[in-house]
Amino acid sequence: MTNDELYRLLRAKYGFTSFRPGQLEVISKLLNGQDVLAVLPTGTGKSLIYQLVGSVVSGLVVVVSPLISLMQDQVARLNYQGEKRVAALTSQLAFGVRQHLLNHLTSIKYLFVSPEMLSQPAVLTALTTVPLALFVVDEAHCISTWGPDFRPDYQSLGQLRTTLGQPRTLMLTATATQHVRHDIVTQLGVPGAQQVLYSVNRPNIYLAVATLSDEAAKRARLQQLVTGVRGPAIVYFSSKRQTDLTADWLREQTGLRVAAYHAGLSAEDRFKIQQQFMAGDLDVICATSAFGMGINKADIRMVIHYHLPTTLADYVQEIGRAGRDGEPSLAMILYVAGDENLVRNLNELTAASPNEIALDFDRFTHKREPASEVSQVLQYYWQHGADVATVSQLFEKRARAKERELQALMAYVTSSTCRRAVMLTYFDETAPQHDERCCQLDGAPLPLAALGLTRSATPTVTTDTDWVKALSRLFLLNS
Amino acid sequence: MFADYILLLFAPTPRRAKGIFNVLRGRRTVSTLFAGLTYGCLDQLDSWHGVPLETFLATTTKLVTAGDLTSPEAGYYQLTAQGMVHQRALKKERYQPVASVTFQTVAVRRFAALSQLALQVVSEAAHHENRYYPVTTDPGVQATVKAWFRRYRGPELAPTIFAALKAFLTTLPDELARIFVQSLTGYQFPGQTDAQLAAQFNREPVELLVIRRDLTCRWIVWLQHHPQDPLWALLAPLVKASPVSDSAQQTLQEFLRGGDLAAIAQRRKLKLSTVREHLLEVAILTPEFPFDQLLSPALITQLTTVFADQPDLTSWRFDQVQRVAPQLDFFYFRLFQIMRCQHD
Ligand SMILES: [Zn+2]
Repeated sequence: MTNDELYRLLRAKYGFTSFRPGQLEVISKLLNGQDVLAVLPTGTGKSLIYQLVGSVVSGLVVVVSPLISLMQDQVARLNYQGEKRVAALTSQLAFGVRQHLLNHLTSIKYLFVSPEMLSQPAVLTALTTVPLALFVVDEAHCISTWGPDFRPDYQSLGQLRTTLGQPRTLMLTATATQHVRHDIVTQLGVPGAQQVLYSVNRPNIYLAVATLSDEAAKRARLQQLVTGVRGPAIVYFSSKRQTDLTADWLREQTGLRVAAYHAGLSAEDRFKIQQQFMAGDLDVICATSAFGMGINKADIRMVIHYHLPTTLADYVQEIGRAGRDGEPSLAMILYVAGDENLVRNLNELTAASPNEIALDFDRFTHKREPASEVSQVLQYYWQHGADVATVSQLFEKRARAKERELQALMAYVTSSTCRRAVMLTYFDETAPQHDERCCQLDGAPLPLAALGLTRSATPTVTTDTDWVKALSRLFLLNS
Repeated sequence: MFADYILLLFAPTPRRAKGIFNVLRGRRTVSTLFAGLTYGCLDQLDSWHGVPLETFLATTTKLVTAGDLTSPEAGYYQLTAQGMVHQRALKKERYQPVASVTFQTVAVRRFAALSQLALQVVSEAAHHENRYYPVTTDPGVQATVKAWFRRYRGPELAPTIFAALKAFLTTLPDELARIFVQSLTGYQFPGQTDAQLAAQFNREPVELLVIRRDLTCRWIVWLQHHPQDPLWALLAPLVKASPVSDSAQQTLQEFLRGGDLAAIAQRRKLKLSTVREHLLEVAILTPEFPFDQLLSPALITQLTTVFADQPDLTSWRFDQVQRVAPQLDFFYFRLFQIMRCQHD
């Protein structure tokens, strides 16, 4: 297919006149029959790549994705774009529905599936009976034990891909160091894959860190930011409880439209909050990192981290939700000395000493069910025939990798020189020259006015108390 | 708080927490149904389906710490004096569901999921909008609603649904009608979450959960009286004629034809104990059960005498019966207990 034809297709199917950075290059390579590893920043329309390829190449597009919520978001988005032949194969589906889906794969164009589900014999068998247009590994960095988001079930993907007859493969990730990229192509068995790399740098996002003396000062600064800086804004927390508490507190203090969003909400509530935010009905979302995976809102002006992100790679992803319209936006970390211990504690949750690992193997040989999160991870290895020594080594390697990631993050947080330079160096990139629209250096004020980010009037909230009126607006055309 | 609704399920006399839990999550064994009957919470069968046992038990422990409950023996709890005062206040303050009994015969949760998407689809179609995020991506729900919509689509569908919802909501207090409408999802209206509605109506978030569930039940009851409503077609396949299981229903039919229990067991290729379990299930779920066909006047007199001094029938013990009637099967004791419970 020529580029002209691709542009015509883009216009006809999606109504766009130009591709986002990287899209065209990746699509062309895939259509030439090459496997591709694409490192593209969040918000570059990664799903458009496999949709467009899927509309040209006959057969099923299989998208491997790590999270159920992420899959559901993607299904909803494809539904929204008018694509009905799409389904997510998850453990949440009732057995009958799952069977029906597997028996009717030819009526589906896009299938989202977790690695765990994909490794089930019934699923694999069903997939070998239909032609595959493309095998997509989303969040491909999860495959690397070197990287920050390693998931053991991603390790079997190379083997599964072979079983599926080595279909044309697209590996997608938003951030990956050279080391992680090497891991991805090696583990998936596609060392010859074309690599398409785009910078993680988002020049329109101003980078800032506020170092504060204690929790009270942090809250005060948060309030000051959401009332003083243009929204809409996302505030990230590391715990559900803190998310709820701070959302309530902010709403009372500021009168702004604030909502909490985390995995503890029902699917219905999560849907409603997302849609309210997209529709501009909310000023601030307080969220755990679960929020925003599937959000496609172009005009988010500020992303605040009330708690530290886990890694720089996560941070880049999370702030990448701001300013997708290219307009100036603000990324702010609120830091109190010692906050890094919270990240360490979270890392501890999935760590285990050689002794604990040996004990867990004992549990496994006695056929007792895994009782903790760590135990569930270990279970995976025992089921795949790994031995205690190998797993202990792997865990030690993971612990070291996590500490290294934390150090890199802290280098960014505590930097007294250009933060963008620190960030980009970590991703093996060269930074542009620092200027006043780049980042906040130690002691410098936030250049809100220069960036056009000063908040204007607060919108007034009106709720309709007449339910008949509200009901007729929903169902009657001319009301 | 969830704890408020749990406190409402206890009494001044001891109740087994696990029994109550099994009622709430919809276990239909005879012992659970019997617990529901004697504790007066059978109408809530299956109404808190998703709550894990740990959460439930942690809540009872919390209520003990708070001084509202006390535990006379392991696994049993009863109200303290403070708990009684607290419970009385909660009955007035917290929303009390009125239609939970619907859970016994209708797949309420399924209908909630189907109707939510169906109303969204109708609302968007009424405004000729075909680009929107569906409120659920569950392929089973989507397929059912799609088939329904294909059958009923047309210019009259949205006005019909509007009129029907208006008619139903007019039967409710204004607060409930507003909650129902504001929680809907449709054209340019994502709908409000339980937490947002709770803040707006000055209620606890858990109350909104209870209110919205009860609204679904009340709407189902209304639809059952209006089978011409387009939404009845989504509901009808989810409705059972009776709360009694099909197998117990069959045993009952045989029994009503005048069968001896052993003969029924043989004909149905069931154990005698299973036939008895079936009849106990029917007796618990249908107050009009013909107890006199199994309990003779003489037996009733005898058992009445044994328990003459024990008005609280949860304190009755089978060994008291065995002392005067060693041959009597447990089945008749339990049946007598159920009869008393139904007709007190
Ligand atoms: Zn800089």
